[in-house]
Amino acid sequence: MTGLRTRSSSRLWANRPLALKGLVVVALPLLILLGALVSLYLASNAETRAEADVRRAFAIQRDTYQVHALLAEAAAGVRGFALTREQQFLESYRKAEANIPATMTRLDRAIRDRVVRRHFEELRDLTVRKREGLRRIVALAENNARPSTDGALTQALKSNKVVLDQMRGAIDNIQRREAVLLEYRQARVEEVRQRFFKLTAISALVGLLGSLAAVYLFSTGIVRRVRTLEGSAERLARGEPLGYMPEETDEVGRLAQRLGRASALLRAREQQLRDSEERFRLVVDRVRDYGIFALDPGGVVASWNLGAERIKGWTADDILGEHFSRFYPHETRDFMPAQMLDRAREDGAAEDEGWRMRKDGTRFWANVVITALRDTDGTLRGFAKVTRDMTERRATEDALRSAREDAIAANLAKSEFLSRTSHELRTPMTAILGFGQLLEIDADEFAGHHRAAIEQIVKAGRHLLSLINDLLDISSIEAGGAELKLERLDLDGLLGEAYELAAPIVAAAGLDFRLVQPGTDGASYGDRRRVIQIILNLVGNAAKYARSGSYVSLGCTVDGGRICVMVEDDGPGIPSADIPRLFTAFDRLGQQDRTRIEGTGLGLALSKSLVESMGGTIGYDPLQRGARFWFTLPDGAGPTV
Amino acid sequence: MPVRLIEPHEILSRRILAIDDEEANILLLRSLLEREGYGDIHTLTDPTAAAAAYADLAPDLVLLDLMMPQIDGFQLLEAFSRHDRADEFRPVLVLTADTTLQARRRALALGAKDFVAKPFDVIEVALRISNLLETRILYERLRQH
Repeated sequence: MTGLRTRSSSRLWANRPLALKGLVVVALPLLILLGALVSLYLASNAETRAEADVRRAFAIQRDTYQVHALLAEAAAGVRGFALTREQQFLESYRKAEANIPATMTRLDRAIRDRVVRRHFEELRDLTVRKREGLRRIVALAENNARPSTDGALTQALKSNKVVLDQMRGAIDNIQRREAVLLEYRQARVEEVRQRFFKLTAISALVGLLGSLAAVYLFSTGIVRRVRTLEGSAERLARGEPLGYMPEETDEVGRLAQRLGRASALLRAREQQLRDSEERFRLVVDRVRDYGIFALDPGGVVASWNLGAERIKGWTADDILGEHFSRFYPHETRDFMPAQMLDRAREDGAAEDEGWRMRKDGTRFWANVVITALRDTDGTLRGFAKVTRDMTERRATEDALRSAREDAIAANLAKSEFLSRTSHELRTPMTAILGFGQLLEIDADEFAGHHRAAIEQIVKAGRHLLSLINDLLDISSIEAGGAELKLERLDLDGLLGEAYELAAPIVAAAGLDFRLVQPGTDGASYGDRRRVIQIILNLVGNAAKYARSGSYVSLGCTVDGGRICVMVEDDGPGIPSADIPRLFTAFDRLGQQDRTRIEGTGLGLALSKSLVESMGGTIGYDPLQRGARFWFTLPDGAGPTV
Repeated sequence: MPVRLIEPHEILSRRILAIDDEEANILLLRSLLEREGYGDIHTLTDPTAAAAAYADLAPDLVLLDLMMPQIDGFQLLEAFSRHDRADEFRPVLVLTADTTLQARRRALALGAKDFVAKPFDVIEVALRISNLLETRILYERLRQH
């Protein structure tokens, strides 16, 4: 209960505004000092008064003695005058007459005590009587010029003596009373002095306590809390959390609360930052395929992730604090690291691909990007380095490159082979056909069966040559070495030209040759010579195999982006069992039945290769009566593949 | 009938040099030329001797194979053109089994006057030979005037 009250009262004090606290702290000792001064003043007054009383008592004593002395001397003088009638005796009498009234007046003023005043009144009466008695004696003595035993005078002297005695009694009374009073007053002065001393001591004590209280209040109310506040500010500056949140509502309390809120805000932000940093760190740490680490501005490794450990072999403990030039092989170690940092400093980032070292001394092919890290002022804080192990990729690339080179070499070799084969096959054909032809020219000189033999040599030779040509053609197309001259072809013109060229073949077979023009100004895309070659092959086939029919037709349709060229006849058609092998080389259908029909067996295979090399397809549709071969070509816009 | 500016015997008396590493082809060309009636026929199967023979014989026409060992027809074409004066028309008819466009272009660029693929039609070759010789004779006449 007491503690609570104390706390709540101290809270009450703490909640007062600073201005009030300042006033209290300054005014309290001042008030106490003022009180002490007032009491000191009062005490000093009392002492002064007491001392004045003492002095007055002494003055009364002195004056009463003086009155007594004056009268006694005057009496003695008067007696002497009365005896001698000599004036010189009256001197003391006259002095008394001159001084006594003033002294009596002084006494009258000085006396305050009632007892003394009563005695004084008595003394005054007696003094008056004494003076009158002396005056009468003087008068008597002057009238009786002769000193005598004058009865009246004697009587006067006697009565005077009585008065003097009475007066002495009064003075004694006064003196006694005053002595009592003096003693009392001196005691009083002493008492006042004691009190004054005590009061001074108490004032000093109270003043001291008041000052201590002020200091205490100042300390509890302001200094201690300001010091706490300072401590809080210090912790805040160091980024440490504040221990408490004060509840006082004065300026210091509010300041402390704001400081507390600032601290809480700071901590919340710090936490956010830490969380984000932690997340980022986790991401970076867990990255396995990239070595990601930080360098300080001098190139010393400052952080290290899992990927870096995996790629380079060093653990974070091994490498933190080491210079990153350790990653470079000896031949580049002296200049490359410095160059990379310079480039990153100047351009913001530097990329490089080259050999780097692992911890175990082995090398790997690395792709490295070094990025300069600058704060908002542009001050360089360090570098981020991302390293990727490209050894496998480089190996793959090398393998690919070598495979490509091999393929190119193989292709060259194939072209070379084709070229040589062509030459090697044609060279003997030159002699065979040349001599055959020469013999043919001179056929008249030979016997009939020789002429037939010569004819067979030339015929077989020509067949062999066309076989060689077709074979080499197919091979060169398949080797990708065919020289296609792709261009835009107008269909009307193309079909017209093919028709003109093929007409004699069809006519020779005794068939009707029809041209079905597409009727549109469509265009196609391909090698003109090759397309005509294909059409001639198809028309030639139709003319050869459809001799039992009546016609061969050449036509064309345009369907969307594809041009379709068709050759139809009304001959026997192709047996369905043979259709799958139609476009296979050396597969002359019904060879046994068709010995009379010449052909290399390569025509359709060559056509297929040619069509496909121009981005089209070739096919066969059986008709109700007859056959239809067709092939497609991209339209005039170009190949779709 | 084309107009004959030149008598056949003038053409047939001209000197022809045939160079081919293939014996059979040389035989064929000789047979063809003899049958046509040419009288001054020289043949060579060793291409390394061709440049010297060309210089020695100063033929009116050369029949040249391209693909030969050691020295090929292209090199010989270069050698021939180095030997000839700039204003001379000494035709070379290339006869080759290399039918590629590149070979044709290269041979013609190096100074060959005509190009026939092997195997060839003997009549066609005979006609080209006589045409080329005719051109050479006309060219000579033009220079003499």
